[in-house]
Amino acid sequence: MTDIAFQSGLGAADAARARVLRRLRLGDAAFHALTRAAAITVLALLGGVILALLEGAIPALSKFGFNFITTERWNPVTETFGGLAPIYGTIVTSLIAMVIAVPIGLMIALFLTELCPISLRRPIGITIELLAGIPSIIYGIWGLFVFAPFLQQYVQPALINTFGSVPGLSVLFAGPPYGIGVLTAGLILAIMVLPFITSISRDVFEAVPPVLKEAAFGLGCTTWEVFRNVVVPYTRVGVIGGVMLALGRALGETMAVTFVIGNAHRISGSILAPGTTISATIANEFTEAVGDIYTSALIALGLILFVITFIVLAAARYMLLRIERRLG
Amino acid sequence: MAQTVQTAATAARTRLYSGRRRWNAIMIVLAWCAALFGMAWLALILGALLWQGLSGVSLRVFTEMTPPPGADGGLLNPIIGSLIMTGLAVAIGTPIGILAGTYMAEYGRYGRLSSVVRFINDILLSAPSIVVGLFVYEVLVRPMGHFSGIAGAVALAIIVIPVVVRTTEDMLLLVPNTLREAAAALGLPRAYIVRRIAYRAARAGIVTGILLAIARISGETAPLLFTALNNQFWSTNLNAPMASLPAVIFQFALSPYNDWQRLAWTGALLITVAVLALSIIARALSSPDKS
Amino acid sequence: MNVIAPHAQTAVPAAAKEALDTAKLEPKIAIRQLNFYYGAAHALKDISLTLYRNTVTAFIGPSGCGKSTLLRVLNRMYDLYPNQRAEGEVVFDGANILAPKQDLNLLRARIGMVFQKPTPFPMSIFENIAFGVRLYEKLPASELEYRVEHALRRAALWEEVKDKLNVNGQSLSGGQQQRLCIARTVAVKPEVILLDEPCSALDPISTAKIEELIDELKADYTIVIVTHNMQQAARVSDFTAFMYLGQLVESASTQKIFTSPSDRRTQDYITGRFG
Repeated sequence: MTDIAFQSGLGAADAARARVLRRLRLGDAAFHALTRAAAITVLALLGGVILALLEGAIPALSKFGFNFITTERWNPVTETFGGLAPIYGTIVTSLIAMVIAVPIGLMIALFLTELCPISLRRPIGITIELLAGIPSIIYGIWGLFVFAPFLQQYVQPALINTFGSVPGLSVLFAGPPYGIGVLTAGLILAIMVLPFITSISRDVFEAVPPVLKEAAFGLGCTTWEVFRNVVVPYTRVGVIGGVMLALGRALGETMAVTFVIGNAHRISGSILAPGTTISATIANEFTEAVGDIYTSALIALGLILFVITFIVLAAARYMLLRIERRLG
Repeated sequence: MAQTVQTAATAARTRLYSGRRRWNAIMIVLAWCAALFGMAWLALILGALLWQGLSGVSLRVFTEMTPPPGADGGLLNPIIGSLIMTGLAVAIGTPIGILAGTYMAEYGRYGRLSSVVRFINDILLSAPSIVVGLFVYEVLVRPMGHFSGIAGAVALAIIVIPVVVRTTEDMLLLVPNTLREAAAALGLPRAYIVRRIAYRAARAGIVTGILLAIARISGETAPLLFTALNNQFWSTNLNAPMASLPAVIFQFALSPYNDWQRLAWTGALLITVAVLALSIIARALSSPDKS
Repeated sequence: MNVIAPHAQTAVPAAAKEALDTAKLEPKIAIRQLNFYYGAAHALKDISLTLYRNTVTAFIGPSGCGKSTLLRVLNRMYDLYPNQRAEGEVVFDGANILAPKQDLNLLRARIGMVFQKPTPFPMSIFENIAFGVRLYEKLPASELEYRVEHALRRAALWEEVKDKLNVNGQSLSGGQQQRLCIARTVAVKPEVILLDEPCSALDPISTAKIEELIDELKADYTIVIVTHNMQQAARVSDFTAFMYLGQLVESASTQKIFTSPSDRRTQDYITGRFG
């Protein structure tokens, strides 16, 4: 095209411009290809992670089969590995975290959207978000040296005394107050995921059309009634998405849990007992794992964790996408 | 007769209403408590960090290396190791992240590839970081035969990429299309528009994303545990195990030695200060844009 | 003498809308010296107006004249927003509702509001209405059902939804949603109903249905309607208040406003000189 322009004699200025543009256009194609390669790299990363985990886990999985998930025994000496204890610990600690963090997180979001004085909204919101920025090893070290001793001295004895005589629950709260254990890990996880739930909930609550809330207020509803009957049902999908995102984080959390869970490869009925989670097991034992089967068993645990979090995060993403589309 | 019916109805309404008022008041109090509860933990954690870690802060921390138990020392090698690996991770991860984000916002905005990448990226964003460590172990450490700083840097880079992709894409999407159209009307090719105009407009946001990514990896321990491992001695050799602040904290905190534990607290304080400072700077950078 | 808008003339049915004698009517809400501010902006200036029981009063005027603002003062909806404030008096049943000690929830139970955009709650049709009733009365299930049916009948919606009461309210058409909102408001048995441009988002057929409704409802309620559609005001209201730039320019019976307005600005607006 530029040659035609040349031939029709459009002048030196046009020719110079055409040359510049042609050079820029070549750069354009290269840049386009480069960005696309980068995008594909992201895909490749995920694929690579799955493949690498599979490859590393296959020796252990082929040796133990499905029993890997159902066996509790974890014996490096005899090289029998069962992942039930870490899996159980991962699920229970995350569950404890969610049970505590979800109601509190939603109430904080209610506070930030309806009750907080306007000038304080931003500072308090930032304070809660800073909680999310604190690295998990800090939670770990704080948990081990400050929180666990506190629980051991005051809270756990109280729990044991209170529930010791209650028929169904005494099993749940039995045992000596170690300070560390499944409950402690769950509590620390609760504090860690609280800001995620608050943040996402607050965003979806703020996106509720004001006229809908006004309609409820117009009927004479109190602030709480508007929140419970209009805001929450309207944003239900987004809230659940946020909760699942927080759950995904809790499941994969390593350092905070490793410090305070006690690292015992067994399942106990009591949540005051020590236990272990998948990530804590890997963190503690990987560098000392001797033998291929041991390493492979740990990688198999990693694979299981990845699959669980993948499912949870994918579900969360799907829900958040739906509410984004609805709220516009 | 009508009068008594009216007053009976009003009485019932008032009873119901006082119940509703009470419930509302309870919930409002609970919401306030929840907010205070949330903030209290931040205060407790920061307080403990300052209480335990501040006493250990001295020039020695920044000039001497990690000591054997019972001796005095500092955190020089882990600090340097962390800086090296963080810097390298950002150098590797940021270009990939920005380019990928650019593709999704500029070239392939409505394409299938972009939506798939966006989905995958969000999952990687929240994926357990210890799994990233396992991945890098399998693809770098095992073939190389030993732990190394470069493996640690790569693991951190994998954590950087999703953060940068997300913020880059979000920021570029915020740039109004009218700006791009005006440039295109001048006859400028795509890449030029993206680099000179879109990037410039989204610059603050992209920088914010990078700062947030740095804040995120500064405290990451799990991915380093079996990639860079740890190193008691001074080493800037990327091909050998490299010390990092989080790994040292992990080792020292779980040890039975008092001076090691004190150093662990100091290290924790240093990391927290760095992370919070980065977060605050990132926020300060992004808020003028929001208004 | 006065050039009358042809639409207004033909839209005023001769029999129905003769000027009501205010001496025979009972004042329901008396607005006195009302001033309203959005932050520093003075939005309503010295408004004084009386609304009479069981009548329909329309607020008309060009965009930005303050008619919606005035309406929202009547149920203190502005209270939800910190930088909005009102000064003056609005007397409802002997009490000034602008007083700080006025209980807002109880006020809004007696003065209901329907909004421009239909706002069904994220619940079933039945729940939308039962929700409001339950706030104020503890009724056995059968009576609650009766109340819901009664409200839907009054809103001329019963026949269309009686078989799908469990369906989500948000799945109805725009006109049906708006009638649902009216049913919801009516179910709570208010004394006054405020309508803020209730038909502006609706098609002509739904609009006609709602205008019929308003005519029926005024037998039991005092109605105030904000509308940017003059012809609707002429069709539907007994009294009309014309507002301009935050001031109440003129307020009188609808017939007078549309046939022989006293103020030049009113006449200009009615005849379409501006608006």
